[in-house]
Amino acid sequence: MFGLNKIIPINSDYKFLNYRKNFYIISSIAIGLALLLLLFKGLNLGIDFKGGTLIEVSTKNTNIGELRDILSPNFKEVSLQEFGDEKTIIIRLQNENNQESIETVNKVKKIINDKVSEFRRSEFVGPTVSSELLWKGFQAVSFALFAILIYIWLRFEWQFGFGAVVALTHDVLFTLGILSILNIEFSLSTIAAILTIAGYSINDTVVIFDRVRENLRKYKKLELLDLFNMSINNTLSRTIMTSITTLLALVSLYVFGGEVIKPFALTMIIGVLVGTYSSIYIAVPTLLVFKFRPQDEDEN
Amino acid sequence: MKNYPLWKIIIVFLLVSAGVIFAIPSILYKEDTGNWYLDNRLNLGLDLQGGSYLLLEVQTDVLITEEFENFSDTIRIISRENRIKINNIEQKGDELKIRFDSSENLNEIRNSFLQNYRSVKFNINNNVASIQIDQLYKKSIQDSAIKQSLEIVRKRIDESGTKEPLIQRSGRDRILLQLPGVKNPERIKDLLGKTAKLNFHMVDDEDSKSLSLNLAPFGKMIVADINSEETKYLLEKKSRVGGENLIDAYASFDQTEGHAVSFRFDTTGAQKFGKATSENIGKRFAVVLDGVVITAPVINSAITGGSGIITGNFTSQEATDLAVLLRAGALPAPLEIVEERSVGPGLGADSIAAGKIASIIGMILVCIFMILIYGSFGFIANISLIANLFIILALLGTIGATLTLPGIAGIVLTIGMAVDANVLIFERIKEENLKNKKIFDSIKKGFDRALSTILDANITTLIASLLLFVFGSGPIKGFSITLSLGVIASMFTALMLTNLLVHLYVSFASKKEINL
Repeated sequence: MFGLNKIIPINSDYKFLNYRKNFYIISSIAIGLALLLLLFKGLNLGIDFKGGTLIEVSTKNTNIGELRDILSPNFKEVSLQEFGDEKTIIIRLQNENNQESIETVNKVKKIINDKVSEFRRSEFVGPTVSSELLWKGFQAVSFALFAILIYIWLRFEWQFGFGAVVALTHDVLFTLGILSILNIEFSLSTIAAILTIAGYSINDTVVIFDRVRENLRKYKKLELLDLFNMSINNTLSRTIMTSITTLLALVSLYVFGGEVIKPFALTMIIGVLVGTYSSIYIAVPTLLVFKFRPQDEDEN
Repeated sequence: MKNYPLWKIIIVFLLVSAGVIFAIPSILYKEDTGNWYLDNRLNLGLDLQGGSYLLLEVQTDVLITEEFENFSDTIRIISRENRIKINNIEQKGDELKIRFDSSENLNEIRNSFLQNYRSVKFNINNNVASIQIDQLYKKSIQDSAIKQSLEIVRKRIDESGTKEPLIQRSGRDRILLQLPGVKNPERIKDLLGKTAKLNFHMVDDEDSKSLSLNLAPFGKMIVADINSEETKYLLEKKSRVGGENLIDAYASFDQTEGHAVSFRFDTTGAQKFGKATSENIGKRFAVVLDGVVITAPVINSAITGGSGIITGNFTSQEATDLAVLLRAGALPAPLEIVEERSVGPGLGADSIAAGKIASIIGMILVCIFMILIYGSFGFIANISLIANLFIILALLGTIGATLTLPGIAGIVLTIGMAVDANVLIFERIKEENLKNKKIFDSIKKGFDRALSTILDANITTLIASLLLFVFGSGPIKGFSITLSLGVIASMFTALMLTNLLVHLYVSFASKKEINL
């Protein structure tokens, strides 16, 4: 309709993998940078993982500077940040122990009560709980990668599983690197976003792998490189379509979904972009390393 | 359409209509109606309807320390009876070491001690005795403390007037509370933060020397006043009667002293209280709550009726809360809040509104895009997408799932990803159609070939989603539920509904070629 369907290629024949070395270099540099960033700059851990207190308020007749002046002399570690608009402000506090935090919330509320029209939310995570949450998040991501590896191994060959997990790890590290650069808060919902990215990226990879497997059976004489290129081209229109629809939904979530959900949506957007890239340029070329044509396929 | 099996048409029709019918309560109704059909609706999570989530940790270490204090008190009493001097007592971990003056008669001390406490180890090494408790003993103390705490927390929350609270044990020594609609979480936290151990002790006003030295003799203790750290009382260590003997407490008003709490003892309590007061007329007794003296009035006459009144500069709220605490009873050990998430109703409502707008706009964008790319087939995919949303809502409603903010994100994401299965099928049909111009043949092959891809791709997403459910907490679980249901529903709508609609369309429009 309206000729727009021409943007989705039919019978394309791009030689994706002929330039794979360039992309290896690009990806290696990107992942290297991401690792350096994670090592030296680290992630902007939210209170879920760092522990502490967070209070979101709607203010009246005041501004962030005034509130900061009121609160700073009273608390050791306090930081304020506008959240979406200038009337909504987030106050973050660090505390030594659980009891102190409860008192802190009460004290903050008392001090700024006449400047606030609504206390929108208050969150407090104690040090023991935050380290547990971090550990659980780490477990969830590792188990997910492992479970996906096993599934792909069962459904395909182990080499496919390896390729998929290399691509996944690439996506997760890359996304974490971007989160570190942009200083986006790393919270429980970021873990959810990362796992969903893993799910999406693997989804994309599996679709291409599926076609690779089919073509391996169909075209037994074809060079592997050409066969992989062909498989990527076969599924290219689907890859583009699904990325676009998912991005449309995510952009809508980012723009209209409210402040709380923004970091989640942004993380997902980054993940979908890098996941699409890695399926083509990381997952498939990893299969080339093995130079395999499954033995039994040849014999049949 | 000739060869399209009738049973498939009926199943698709039934499932989609069930989806629409059971989605209606979630879309239209907010309140409980008591009607079985209308109650099949989504519950809103605390982050959407407002309320408080609290995770409390029972400080069972305190109990172990207390138990060791009991041990040393008992040892002191026994050794006094046996006229053996103790040099020092120290507690190290799960062990209490008592160094006696001599090694004589220690076996007798051991025997009398073990009459009081059976399941401890009592070893004697020369003039040193050591008392050890094992893990089992510790665990039984902790377990009963947690069960009791759970009971008391439930009573306190009920008394505070919170509707539909969820109170449950979480892990080894934690209690999880979900309190929907709580507007003032600070008051709840205050109520839970107090142990509320109430005891009546006699005041020793004669021994002013010990008080000035701030050194309590054996059997006595020094306790500060609630209003000033400086004011101290010398009290008998043993309480005459305690809060466990209370049967009622309520806020009241005293003409001279202002807000007060009136209380009533049970029979045992009344007897103890009557005895203590009649023997000590003219002296003072102290009301001690959680280690501070609230008030220490002079006993003017014996109080035998078993009821009394506590005054102490209370505000009206303080008196009400103290009455609540006394009625619910004392916690066996202090509770510490280790996690709190409270959301006000304003933010919750904003989140729902934003989530609705994001879903609707995301939906419109995806629908427009699908029609632009696939034309009539895009239109069919959109019908499937809408049916998919109805089915998700219906499933969430009938299983009584809780919709959280991340859950809404899951739905929006599902909108984007749900068309994937349709896209896979359409692309495959298009491809088959280029090779083979027979229209029904292409459609059939398209669906068949796409099937295994759709399964593989979606099962991997389900794996990730399942792990989120296992390891995630509260809101994240909500996300994994909506995402999983979305993935499952999208497989059904693509493989069954889209399939049916494509066949219908091609038959009735008597299409000779596919315009994809």
